[in-house]
Amino acid sequence: MQENYDVVIIGSGPAGTTTARIAAQNNLKVLLVDKKQELGSPIQCSGAISHHGLVSVGVSPEAEFIHEAIYGFDILNEKGDSKKIDYRQLKPDTYGAAADKNPLGYVVDRRRFDRYLMTQAERAGVEVWLKTEGLNYEVTSDGNCEVQLRRFNQELTVKTKVLVGADGLQSQVGKWAGLTTHIKLAELASCLQFIVDQVETNGLLEIITGHEWAPGGYAWIFPKGNGYAEIGLGVARTMTEQNAQWHLDHFMKNSFFKERFKNSKILEIQGGGVPLAAPLKTQYADNLILVGDAARHVNPITGGGLHTALSGGWIAGNFLGDFLASKVPATAENLKRYQDEWLVALGNKMWKLYGIKSQIFKTKDITKRDQMLYQTMSDYFSPDSEFKKI
Amino acid sequence: MRKPKSVSFQIGWNACINCGACVAVCPHDAGFISPFDTIAVDQPCDIACLLCEDICPVTTITHTVVEA
Repeated sequence: MQENYDVVIIGSGPAGTTTARIAAQNNLKVLLVDKKQELGSPIQCSGAISHHGLVSVGVSPEAEFIHEAIYGFDILNEKGDSKKIDYRQLKPDTYGAAADKNPLGYVVDRRRFDRYLMTQAERAGVEVWLKTEGLNYEVTSDGNCEVQLRRFNQELTVKTKVLVGADGLQSQVGKWAGLTTHIKLAELASCLQFIVDQVETNGLLEIITGHEWAPGGYAWIFPKGNGYAEIGLGVARTMTEQNAQWHLDHFMKNSFFKERFKNSKILEIQGGGVPLAAPLKTQYADNLILVGDAARHVNPITGGGLHTALSGGWIAGNFLGDFLASKVPATAENLKRYQDEWLVALGNKMWKLYGIKSQIFKTKDITKRDQMLYQTMSDYFSPDSEFKKI
Repeated sequence: MRKPKSVSFQIGWNACINCGACVAVCPHDAGFISPFDTIAVDQPCDIACLLCEDICPVTTITHTVVEA
């Protein structure tokens, strides 16, 4: 017998699990599927998320998934000039390591974090199938849709009112509906990072700008807990002949930090594409919405995608609760409301950030471009930034 | 150099980090993928834009020309 669901979600990353959890809390019958056997890996993410980003969607910061607490930023230019934005000093009453204060944010372990979010979804009533991949979907004459899945080599079909594509950067779900989802080469940062031992950090996210080190992107050094750090960078391949691997090697061997990196030992190698792009213009179709990386809910300046995935999932889950209770047909026309709500809550600011990012990287003069990026990053993370909640 | 009409991709699996960036820039319709989150290696590509080769952080995608 074919199972019926209110919502089927493909992809069990932070966006999918959050959509699932919130939809279930809205009394919907939810199926969440993921093709992997373990969530979170291979890791394609630095793991940084603000305290606000967690608690605003009902996720409490748990030791289970936190590598290390973060208290601010250190923004460096191509020569190594540093602008420290340490909230332990800027707002000592709010931020700090003491029991009555909060960290500004965290670097999380994506394997543990994704699994934790899935656990919370399951506890909220979501049914989860691992080792299950989505194959296609088809709108049916009764106004619902059928989703074809393959679960442990077994092909099966489930029926649902709305399908949610939360299948990440390489999303296929949007393509099933004919949406244009691929990203321009210029707007997908090619990223590589090493988890290393023997590189000291101090509770700050270090962001190193400058064409010399990361053309079209930036380099980073993040604390990773237990004395480990992550060193990584992203580059726009339209702005360099070399790949990310070459640039990371160049940064570690030749930058102003070469002495600091001298004894570093590589523990893990991770990488991926980070969209420094505009949000997807159309994130909905008949019986379908997209969320997270699949909808390009990624901050185009920082490349941060965790907070935006969680917030997008929160918006999608609550939207689906109201929408399906209202019994209106799940046509593309009606589901547009999801995107409208998302734009008001988050998307319009992301479009603005995209405008700023585009201005910077279309500047031909490298010195000027470097200055613009350094200034933008410094402003972005300052306490009076208009974007601090993204 | 003029781009070929159709190519077949090879992936050096030893260096591949399964990041999916090649799929993210791929303009094909749904389905031009491998089970390892890379572009397909079991069917020819008749777009041959080769953007997947450019985006790869570890440059581990190559191609052979099927039709020049």
